[in-house]
Amino acid sequence: MNWSLLFESYANVFTSFQVIFMTLLGALGGILLGAVPGMTATMGVALLIPFAFGMDLIPSIGLLLGIYCGGMYGGSISAILIHAPGTPSAAATLLDGYPMCQKGQAGRALSIAMFSSFCGGVLGALVMTFLSPLVAQMAMKFTSAEMLMLAFFGLSVIVSISGESISKGLISAFFGLLLATVGQDPTYGAKRFVFGFRPLLSGFSFIPTLIGLFAIAEVIAGVERIINGEEKQQKSEEKITNVLPDLKTIGQIWPNIISGGIIGTMIGAIPGAGGDIAVFVSYGFNKSSSKHPELWGTGIPNGVAATESANNGCSGGAMIPLLSLGVPGDAVTAVLLGAFIMKGIQPGPMMYVNELPTVYRVFAALMLANIAMLLVGCAGVRFFAKIVSVEKKMLYPIILVVSLLGAFSINKNIFDVGVCVLFGVIGYLMNKFEFPLSPILLALILGPMCEQNFVRFVDVNNGNFWEILNRPIAVGFFLVSVATILYSIYNQKKINKREAENRKKTFSE
Amino acid sequence: MRRTQTKAFASLICSIILLIFEIWAYVETTGFRVHKRAFVQPATFPQIMICGMAIFTVILFIQSFIKVTRGMKDGDPENEPAASVNPFTNRGVAAAFFVIILCVIYTYLFDKLGYVLVSACISVIIMWLIGKRDLKIIIPVSILVPLIMWFIFYKLLTVNIPMGMLQPLRDLVDKL
Repeated sequence: MNWSLLFESYANVFTSFQVIFMTLLGALGGILLGAVPGMTATMGVALLIPFAFGMDLIPSIGLLLGIYCGGMYGGSISAILIHAPGTPSAAATLLDGYPMCQKGQAGRALSIAMFSSFCGGVLGALVMTFLSPLVAQMAMKFTSAEMLMLAFFGLSVIVSISGESISKGLISAFFGLLLATVGQDPTYGAKRFVFGFRPLLSGFSFIPTLIGLFAIAEVIAGVERIINGEEKQQKSEEKITNVLPDLKTIGQIWPNIISGGIIGTMIGAIPGAGGDIAVFVSYGFNKSSSKHPELWGTGIPNGVAATESANNGCSGGAMIPLLSLGVPGDAVTAVLLGAFIMKGIQPGPMMYVNELPTVYRVFAALMLANIAMLLVGCAGVRFFAKIVSVEKKMLYPIILVVSLLGAFSINKNIFDVGVCVLFGVIGYLMNKFEFPLSPILLALILGPMCEQNFVRFVDVNNGNFWEILNRPIAVGFFLVSVATILYSIYNQKKINKREAENRKKTFSE
Repeated sequence: MRRTQTKAFASLICSIILLIFEIWAYVETTGFRVHKRAFVQPATFPQIMICGMAIFTVILFIQSFIKVTRGMKDGDPENEPAASVNPFTNRGVAAAFFVIILCVIYTYLFDKLGYVLVSACISVIIMWLIGKRDLKIIIPVSILVPLIMWFIFYKLLTVNIPMGMLQPLRDLVDKL
């Protein structure tokens, strides 16, 4: 590592007014975009590519990375405040973020999300700076066998997010995996569950499904609660004296931030696996290793910290294969690859030889993007926290029309609005009968990855699936997955037993 | 409380509905195209998922059946009253179903009347339905929110959103 060049590059980036301004602008845009359900960081980065064309490389990369990091945090704002994750990477944040908001701790949840996003992002940027060639080499060892087992590992988290009934959680998960098969089969193009309806050929789009399951279902349930007089209007009584979490909270959440950041960076570095997978893996891992797993899902800061640090850790992780190998780690870095090529730079192993100053400046720009996200986020916490005090009778219709517009904007397709409404109804009914929704989401993310890699692996090995035993990383993932499942079942049984005793006590009293 | 009003009974009914769905879905997969040289057929993965779902549905069915027939201990969460889905006995559920119907109509009219108009209408109806009666607030909010969202999506994010009858508004914005 060329230390003097590294310091010089950091100094160049951190003292350039143009880079700082563009990165701050990007972070602001990213946070606002991410907060709108249906708008993703990928869309923001893609939209601003033409604007970046006229700028120098580093300010333009700063702008795009600002959007990337801001968008990751922005997704958590709507997840925490209105139960509608702005981006798929924020899907797990609502598990604890929304209950915190319902307890009147919206501002606290937002500040924890922002601080954890910042720490996860910085951790990802540090790993990227110091370990990128090493991590890239490891990530490239992932073939279909490892990807299949990584997907299986991700699915093993389902047990820990299933809630009281493991059977209901697993039914939801298999239902989600089944939904993921709707449309054309990825290998042979055979039509599955299409019923002659052409828009179904490409299956259910993920974001409209996500918006439907959470936002629309919440609106429908909210209307029911208001009519039945069960809805409580939240008042913004929470005084936000400090936009950052206090030291006591930081002391409580730092292990989750570190583990989330590392998990996010590692998963982000694997091409094809992004923040949406990392957040659930991080949530499951942190819940399983917690002394009080029964509190997870009830609105604890640790849940928000574990997921938010993971999705921003991914931003650093996803840059590793992009810069080291020229392989984008996720959709946003695929667009960033276009930006590099547009500027005449070809990311890949030779970039470290021919363009080392540029590589170091990109590292510095990512670090700056995380700082910009923190600064803009700090300025916005008080404002965002006020949203919960808007009267629910006005808020629900607004959420409905904004969410349906978000669903439409993904493919500019009215079919997606219908999908969103359909899943809103499914989500509403599932909530009523206590079938958890998060496993469906995880299954929809991991289902296609699981099937494609399963088919590819079996085809490559002439139908011999057991060849997988010769792949040590895959076997390792499998064993960890089995251990996770067993431990989660044990944990859940313990929680159920404890809760049953508490209920019995309350009942007898 | 009658056993048929408990959560356990609701789970029992859910498991029966799910089993019917799984049988239907499995029969549907048998009609998928077969590739002679393929090791994994297009129907294989969905069939594995249906079987997995069926296994846990049967477990849920057995658990609920035992609880319903043998009775439950005090404090058992499954012994609590199940959520109502009857719109005739529960006004909240009726309102929720009405919102669902409104959403279906919204989807149908989205292309025809345009986003702004149809969103303004649905907002007014829902706000009125859930007890907001101040027209001085309802009308401006219902019109301004979709209008601002349309402007943001159309002008800043370049997403072309159907405007229906309000097409002249888009032309005006384009001219300006």
